[in-house]
Amino acid sequence: MGGFFSTIFSSLFGTREMRILILGLDGAGKTTILYRLQVGEVVTTIPTIGFNVETVTYKNLKFQVWDLGGQTSIRPYWRCYYSNTDAVIYVVDSCDRDRIGVSKSELVAMLEEEELRKAILVVFANKQDMEQAMTPTEMANSLGLPALKDRKWQIFKTSATKGTGLDEAMEWLVETLKSRQ
Amino acid sequence: MFARLKKKIAEEAAIAPRPGGATRIPRSISKESVASVGADSGDDFASDGSSSREDLSSQLFRRNEQIRKLEAKLSEYAEQVRNLQKIKEKLEIALEKHQDSSMRKFQEQNETYQANRAKMAEGMALALAKKDQEWAEKLAQLEKDKRLLAAQLQEMKNQSLNLFQKRDEIDELEGFQQQELAKVKHMLLKKEESLAKMELEMETRTRELSHAQEELLASSQVCSDLSCELEMLQRQYSALEEQRDHLLAAETGAENKITTLEQREQELQMFIQQLSVDLQKAEEGEKLIKHLQEKVLSLEKRLEGNLSGEEHVQELLKEQSTLAEESSKLQQHVLVLEQQYAEQGNRLEAEIAALEKARESDKAAQLLEEENANLKENRNEYESSLEAHKLELKKLKEEWSQRETVNVEIAKALEETRKQREDFQQQVADLTTLIKEKEQFLNEKTEALLQKEEEIDQLKKGHDIVLLQLHQLQSDMEACRCKKAKREESTGKELNVLRLQIEEEEEEETLEARSEPNVSILATALNTTLNGEVDCVDMVQLQKENRDLEQQIVEKNKTIKQLQQRMLELKKTLQKELKIRPENDIFEVREKPNPEVPTASTTVTNNSDLNDSREINFEYLKHVVLKFMSCRESEAFHLIKAVSVLLNFSQEEENMLKETLEYKMSWFGSKPSPRGSIRPSISNPRVPWS
Repeated sequence: MGGFFSTIFSSLFGTREMRILILGLDGAGKTTILYRLQVGEVVTTIPTIGFNVETVTYKNLKFQVWDLGGQTSIRPYWRCYYSNTDAVIYVVDSCDRDRIGVSKSELVAMLEEEELRKAILVVFANKQDMEQAMTPTEMANSLGLPALKDRKWQIFKTSATKGTGLDEAMEWLVETLKSRQ
Repeated sequence: MFARLKKKIAEEAAIAPRPGGATRIPRSISKESVASVGADSGDDFASDGSSSREDLSSQLFRRNEQIRKLEAKLSEYAEQVRNLQKIKEKLEIALEKHQDSSMRKFQEQNETYQANRAKMAEGMALALAKKDQEWAEKLAQLEKDKRLLAAQLQEMKNQSLNLFQKRDEIDELEGFQQQELAKVKHMLLKKEESLAKMELEMETRTRELSHAQEELLASSQVCSDLSCELEMLQRQYSALEEQRDHLLAAETGAENKITTLEQREQELQMFIQQLSVDLQKAEEGEKLIKHLQEKVLSLEKRLEGNLSGEEHVQELLKEQSTLAEESSKLQQHVLVLEQQYAEQGNRLEAEIAALEKARESDKAAQLLEEENANLKENRNEYESSLEAHKLELKKLKEEWSQRETVNVEIAKALEETRKQREDFQQQVADLTTLIKEKEQFLNEKTEALLQKEEEIDQLKKGHDIVLLQLHQLQSDMEACRCKKAKREESTGKELNVLRLQIEEEEEEETLEARSEPNVSILATALNTTLNGEVDCVDMVQLQKENRDLEQQIVEKNKTIKQLQQRMLELKKTLQKELKIRPENDIFEVREKPNPEVPTASTTVTNNSDLNDSREINFEYLKHVVLKFMSCRESEAFHLIKAVSVLLNFSQEEENMLKETLEYKMSWFGSKPSPRGSIRPSISNPRVPWS
């Protein structure tokens, strides 16, 4: 009963933990982003066979952040985690032009899920520190984001290793989540 | 099939040279018999399929009827046979011819077929062997290449990982260094600031110190002056004191003298009085003397006048001499006294002069005393001022000592700061050398990295080339496959044709086999009717040949099957290779942009069906279950679905898990009762007692 008191507190003060999924293809930088958000450090990662879950506090808002492994073989298990999700952080490698199509189709398929109908979408155009990185607009067009309807979404250019853009993105997410409540 | 067979038979019948109308009737008869026999056999099979005794009896009955009919017919035929004998002969001839032709045909066909087959088989086998070899070689080569490339890639990956790690480490180190440097710089700056402050302070202190020293010097000069003065004064004082002592001694001497003189005076006065008394006495004595002398004169005159009384005169003379003696003595005494007096007077005069002198010196002594007093006052003043000066001096000395201690402290602090500064400078120098070393190291690393990148590029180029070769090989393979497919198609067609031919032949054979019985029946009938001389031998031979042919066909079928099996195996191996290839492609996609593969792999995977896929990623399952068991309940609640999907739980089991977790998370509520597959050995749900 480790979470006993946290549940008491959450029930007393009515601050529910927001549930966020970090999704994206393998090697997009999901795990790095998760730990950058949690401890503010760049950790050395290995390919995630499974998932990582951490509690991240940002602006007095608690997030239960799930970073699901993005390898092709375990992508089908994403939808086991969709229920009760408040927001989806979709991480895309800005330099991986070859697999942007795969990324798009995965994104589109994910957004079609009923359980994610109300989830907010934040796209992280990650690895912006690289030279040949795509611009956010290019990325948004490649992912077909402008065609999305009934969906609150925003794209941010980020660099998990440099730590740029994450704050703005989280700020927007917090504001959007607060305004939605 | 049968229709085609019939057609063929009809064609053959049309083609075969037969005697015109005569043959028709028996042909038709034979046809009918064939048909009837066929029908019978068909009925037989049918009856066999759904057998009942009544049917059998009815069939038996029918058979009997037929037999009767046939017997009737036979009797008719017996007559007809005689007529047909000729026809039969002709037929036999025709049959022989037909058999010959068919035999020839068979042989020809067989030969061609065998030739074709052999050629085909050889060609195929050769081609297959060649292809096999080629493919095996290519595969081996490709596998070798692949292995090499994979190893190289692995190496490169490792190297790049190592390099990345090293780079990260270097970055970290650099960061640390920079931080350290910044810290050190900051500290240095602070120290320098403090140093500057200290220096300023020190300067002020030194200034103060110099000032104080100057003051001290001045004061010490003053002090020395004062001490000189003091010494002088002391000397003066001592001189004065000496003088004073002298004077005092003189005074006392003078006073003593005065007292003695006064005593003497008194004495003298007394003496004078005595003297005056003496003098008066002496005057009286002189008077007495005169008197006496007068007396003596009177007595002498009397003695002269009285010579009688001689004794008395003598006595008087004696008295006179004594008196004279006395008078001389007195005179002498007076003279002495007078002398003494004169002397005393002189002496007194001298003494008085001396006294007067002494009085004068007394006055001087008074003056001197006054002066002395003044000097004493001065001295006191001087002493007080000296004491004040001494105090000041002491204070100054104290201050000086304090300053000195402060100075010493400052100097120490300065030295320490200097040392620190030196240390820092040394540290900075060390750090700069370290940084330089690091930079060198970095440069080397970057060079090494560049080299590695070049190597990577080269490897990538090599990889590209290999990929291109692979593509070429793939295209070659596809072409080969196409060719093979075509060949297969053609061989398949040929095989089909052959098969058709074989089937046809088989059919023919079967037909013939079927017709054989007829023929045999006919023959037997003929034999029975004609009592021998029939060419049963020929028939037997034909049958034997037929059997041989059939055996050959069976063998060929076997070889065909073997070839087909081989082909299947080859196809399987090809498919396996093709299966392996996509994985390589995926691997390549990750490593190298390949324009062809992404389009192939754009299939969405995140919503693909999971229920039928039994190949669950074991590692994934392990991770999820481990997390499910170790994480918080609120997190575990979200994992139920994943676990359920991975372990193929039923809805009931999933719900049970959810309820259990909810029970664990909440404070209240009752524990959900386990049921279903949780208790596999209990069939019925538990019955409550009451």
